[in-house]
Formats: sequence, structure tokens, C-alpha cells
Amino acid sequence: MSPAILVRDLEKRYGDKSAVDGLDLEVPGGSFFGFLGPNGAGKSTTIRILTGLIPFDRGTVEVLGLKLPGEDLAIKRRIGLVPDESLLFDRLTGAEYLEFVGRMYELERAVAIERARGLLDLFELPAGRKMIAEYSKGMRKRVAMAASLIHHPELFLMDEPFEGVDAVGARLMKDILQHQVARGATVFLTSHVLEVVERLCDRVAIINEGKIAVCGTMEELRAGGESLEDAFVRVVGGAHALLETHQGLEWL
Amino acid sequence: MIAAILRAQFLSMRRTFGKGIVLAVLGGVFWYGLWTFAALGVFSYIESASAAKLPGVLSLVFLGVFLYWQVMPVVSATMGASLDMRKLLAYPIPVSRLFVIELLLRLVSGLEMVLVLIAAEAGLIVNPAAHGVTGAVAPLAVFVAFNLLLASGVRSLLERLLTQRKIRELIVLMTAALWVLPRFFLMTGMKSKVTGPALEAVMAAGLPWAAAAHAALGQFPLVSWCSLAAWTVAAAWFGRMQFQRSLRYDASAALATPRESTSRASFADRCYRLPSRFLPDPLGAIVDKELRTLARAPTFRNLFFMGFTFGLLVWLPMVIGKSAHPEAFMSSHFLTVVSLYALTLLGQVTYWNCFAFDRSAAAFWYIAPQPFAKVLVAKNIASQVPVYLEMAILTAISVALRLVPGWGAAAEAFAVVFTASVYMLAMGNVTSVEYPRGLNPERVSQGGSSGRFQVLVLIFYPLALLPVALAFLARYAFASETAFHLAIAVAIVVGAIVYKLTLDSAVAAASNRRELLLKALAAGQGPVVT
Repeated sequence: MSPAILVRDLEKRYGDKSAVDGLDLEVPGGSFFGFLGPNGAGKSTTIRILTGLIPFDRGTVEVLGLKLPGEDLAIKRRIGLVPDESLLFDRLTGAEYLEFVGRMYELERAVAIERARGLLDLFELPAGRKMIAEYSKGMRKRVAMAASLIHHPELFLMDEPFEGVDAVGARLMKDILQHQVARGATVFLTSHVLEVVERLCDRVAIINEGKIAVCGTMEELRAGGESLEDAFVRVVGGAHALLETHQGLEWL
Repeated sequence: MIAAILRAQFLSMRRTFGKGIVLAVLGGVFWYGLWTFAALGVFSYIESASAAKLPGVLSLVFLGVFLYWQVMPVVSATMGASLDMRKLLAYPIPVSRLFVIELLLRLVSGLEMVLVLIAAEAGLIVNPAAHGVTGAVAPLAVFVAFNLLLASGVRSLLERLLTQRKIRELIVLMTAALWVLPRFFLMTGMKSKVTGPALEAVMAAGLPWAAAAHAALGQFPLVSWCSLAAWTVAAAWFGRMQFQRSLRYDASAALATPRESTSRASFADRCYRLPSRFLPDPLGAIVDKELRTLARAPTFRNLFFMGFTFGLLVWLPMVIGKSAHPEAFMSSHFLTVVSLYALTLLGQVTYWNCFAFDRSAAAFWYIAPQPFAKVLVAKNIASQVPVYLEMAILTAISVALRLVPGWGAAAEAFAVVFTASVYMLAMGNVTSVEYPRGLNPERVSQGGSSGRFQVLVLIFYPLALLPVALAFLARYAFASETAFHLAIAVAIVVGAIVYKLTLDSAVAAASNRRELLLKALAAGQGPVVT
């Protein structure tokens, strides 16, 4: 299967600091891909670049066989996004927001309304006049997830989709994502909950300081009987986090 | 602890102001310069006042100080600085220290009044009729303390009331009307019937400003000091009690959407959908979304109501007042002027800063599979819906009051507003991407944009109104309706070209500045809300 995402030598700079520094990445179509890394490693920046939200300074990016920049709109029509920060319009209700997103993705109004109703029901979101501004963090994630599904995308880009979601909601979201992969869609997700990644993903890449430190199948990463967490800590150099190595923190 | 909070606030402000710090400082210099002049005026007036007049003059000055200190928090209930309890309650800070910071904030927000009081004190010292009063510092200090304590209480009480939508909007409208009513009374000849009795009532002895004046002059020392002390103790109790209540107040409960009847909700839904029925998606979808967002934002609702209430109060006296002249421009163009006023009033939360209420969600426009130009056009269309709704209301009122000479005048008003709108929207698209600033839709009254932009608007408004002014000039110069209509037609054609050019420019800027734009819209605040 052709790659859903193909990134070569990608660089994104903020002043004199590289958030992404010569990143190479290939995500096979139809895979459940985990994109891991410590805080500030460049995960969210990469996702923002892939969605066309921010420009990049160097390299080539292809999403679903389409080039960025240049074919931005065609790419956006075919991807579903759950960002790390809220892209929800607070003064709309959940139903209004989902209908609006559906119409922005060029669904017929009646179809958008119908799908919005179905998704509200599926994600157990309030169907009344409650505005998104009054939603809890978990509910907001559910709305974002529902919005990413409404136009039946081929590729899902998800930045911490389970953050703040309760166990029941997380289970539902996982089931839906697995169903999407089963129908041939690609899921590209970041998460700090390694157990979830371990259970869901068939391929994983670990990014550290803007570069891909390791990329492969889950089996390749866990070679030697390591857990994903052990492998992650080894790759990103987490041993430095040991308390004994820090001077002046004995009081802790 | 207090220093840590103030430092956190300073760091937040420093990052928020950025390059606008120079304009902010210039604005501050200008503002306090004006008040320094006012203080000099107070000084010279008190310095030369006779012994008989001194108690009255001083009482009036103190009454002014009192009103400013107490009314300003009402006017700027959501504009001025206040502690953001939600950010500070998690820390082990004693209530007494938070209260001290709140009092300091009240002092800072009324520094102009300290200037005036110092001038009053200086005037007393040099006035021979005051017999060289030097002991006035103590009553003035107590009077300042009284004002700070009371202002703190008033503000805390108001902030709680203002979290309830209906009360908030009512208070803001009443406050706005308070500023206009004196002018209304003055121009309609009702001044003499109102001011006399009101003045006598507020000058009654025993009231805090009068007590402070008598204490400062050393008159009736026992009575005036007792009265002033009693007022201060009461203000301290009130201020502290209201502050503590605000600490325990659950604002999120007040923000919850009220239960709405199904029929009312579905009627509102039909209204929101109406304009978008005539537009293809994505324009229809965005207009639909924008109208819902605007209608649910108290900031917008307040301006919308002000457009035809406050607007009428401002302009009506010029048409029906004692100085009104039937041949005057205002009399024959009342609807046009009031409608243009409404257009400019709504601009600050619609077209000048069209992503204001989207805040961090503005990133959606960049990930949505639609050209940015369509987003701007749809937002422009949505911004005009309330303008024409406002005009419909104003036309109905004007016709009822017989202020419109005929339907031709009403049509002219619509044509003029449309022409001015084209230019304002053209400029607004550029300012929306060049000077974006996120606005909290829950805050009824707040600055809509950065200091630099406020200065630019002073240039943009006359520029946008220039083509319309030229059309009226053509009518006057050639004494011809045809000349006026021709000039309006030309203005619309030129406006359409300008609109297209600025739209392209705004789209390019939105693409190039996307990170700056999103950062500006999502900017946060420190522990003190400003």
C-alpha cells in the first residue's frame, strides 16, 4: 500500500531553535501508527505541518499522495484531525458545531445534520442547548473526535486524543479508530499513554529533539522482551531523569 | 507573596503588550496629563474660593472624586483590572493579603483622583480664607480609604451580578445611558427641572463627601469626623464581606445555559438559519455559525442594543431638542446618521477584528478545506446582518417618530450605509489579520483591539466615510439628486475594487502571518484580569 504520509528532511525553525530538524517519516496506508516522543520533541509541530496549519522551512511533505504546500485544500478534504488544542467554537452547541464542520467539508446540509445527530448519540454528547463552552475537557475531546469523523476521512491525525477522556469514552474512541483502520483508513496518533499505543498501534516512531530516533513495527521496538515504556525511556535518554543525579534537590 | 503576584502580572502584561508598549505609555502620559490639568483647575478654584463658598466647593470636588472612584468600576466592570480568583485560589494565600492587593488595584485604577485630592489639599493650604488649613491630610487620607474600600465592595458585588447574563447586560446599558442622559436633558431643555433638586439632595450634610469636606476645613469636627469614620467602617465591612463572597462564588454555575423552551429555541434556530438559506456552503455554513456566535456573545448583544437605544439618546436631542432646526442636515438625515453610528459601533466586535470571538479556535479556518477568502467574505456577510436588522429597527422608530421625511430618505440611508460598509469591510479584513486580538464573549465591555490599532481606527473611520461624504458634497455643490446618486454609484464601484484588492492582501497576510495571528488570538492573561 502507498504511504499515507511521506516526509523527507523536514525542518521547522522558531528563531534559532529547530522544533523539527531533518525529520524523515513514512506512514504506510491502512496502518495504526503511533508517534511518540517526550514533551517538546516536535510531535505537535509535525502534526500541525501535516495539516497545513503551519508552514515549514525545508524538506518535502506528501499526504495521501498529495504535496504540501500546493495541494493543501485537497489534503484537508481527506483528513480528520483531533488537535492537542481545542479548535471548537465555544458559542455553538455540540450539534451545531458538528453540522457546521460537516458543511465545511461540503456535505449536503441534510446529510450534515443527520450525521451530526448520529455522532452526538454515539458519543453520548448533550443534544440540547448546552454550549461547548460549558463542556468538560473529556466532552470537548469527544466533540473533536466526532467532528473528525463526520466527513469519513481517509487519514486521521490525532494529537493526544484520549487526554481527559474517561475510560468509557476512551474505549469507544479506540473501538471507532480500530474500525476505521479495518475499513482501510490510516490513523496517526500521538499519546503519552504508552499502554494505549502498545495495544492499538502496529507501527511506532519515536521522535526526540526534532529527529526520528527510532521507527518500526511494534515487534521490532520491543525486541529483547522490553516493554514499549522501557524502549521509549532508553531511546529518549530518560535515565537522566533519575532523582539521585540532580544536585540541590535532596530536599525533595 | 504580594510581590510574587504582581511580578507574575507584570511578566504577563509585558508579553501581551509587546511592541505596543510605546503607544500604551504615550496613552498613559496623555491621560494623566489631562488629569494633571484638571487637578490644576481644582487647585486654582479652591485657592481663590471665599470662606462662604469653600464647604460647597470642596464637597462638590469630593463628590466628583467619590463618583469617579465608585462609578468607574461599574463602567469598566469588565475592562479594569481585577484579581482572577480562579488562578489564585489554588495557592495558600490568606484572604487578607488578596484583599490588600484588590485595594491596591482600586487605588491604581483611580490614581487620577489622588492627583485631584492632592490639588485640593494644596489649594486649601494656600487659600487665606481656609485659615491655612494644614490638618486636612488626615481627613483626605480617610476619605481615600473609604473610597477604596467601598469601590472594592461595589466591584466585587458587580462582578458577581455581572456573571448573570441578563443582569450584566442591563447594568451595562443603564451605565451607558447614565453617560448620555445629562446631554439628553441639556439639549431637550429638561436640565433646570432635574438638576436643582438633585444637587440639594447630594449636598446634604452627613454624606461622606460633605463630612470629609467639613473635616478638612475643621468645621463641626466632632460630627464630621464621626460621620466620616462611620462611613469608612461601614465601607470596610461592606468591601471585605463582598470580597469574601466573591471568593466563594461559583461563576461557572452562573454561566450555565438557562433552560430554554423548545418553541423559543426552534424559533431562534430558524432565525439563525434564515440568511444562510440564500447562500451556498461554505458561505452559508459560516454565516450561520457566525450569527449564532454573535447572538450568544454578551459583548455583541450589548453593542447591538446600544446601537438603537444609546444611539437614539445621543442623536435624538439634535432633532427634537430646543436647538433643533428643521432645515439642518441632522434633521433631514437622522436615519442615515444613526445607522452609520450603529455600523461603526458594531464594527469593533465584527469586521475590524473578525476573529476576536474565535480565539484559539481560529486555527480551524486554517485546517478547514476552504479558501481563506471565503471565510473572510462569509464573516463580512454575517457582520452586515445585524447592521441591517439594526437599521430596520431604527427605521421603524424613525417612521413612528416622524423623523424620516419619506421612504426615499430611508432608501438613501440604506444606500449610504451599504457604501460605507464596503469600505469598512475592506479595511476590516486587513486589520483583522494584521491586528488580531482574542475577545472574551462573556465580557460585556472590553477593548476590542490593541493600542496601535485603536490609533489606526481613528484614521480608518474618516477614510471609509470619505466617499459618502463626497456624495453629499456633490449633492450640495450641484444642488442635484442625480449628482448624489451618481457619486454613490461610483463610490460603490470603486469600493468593490478596493474590497477585492484588500481581500487578496488580507488572504496573503493571513497565510504569511498565520502563526502570529493564532498566537495573538490565543494570548493568555496573568493573575490580574485587565
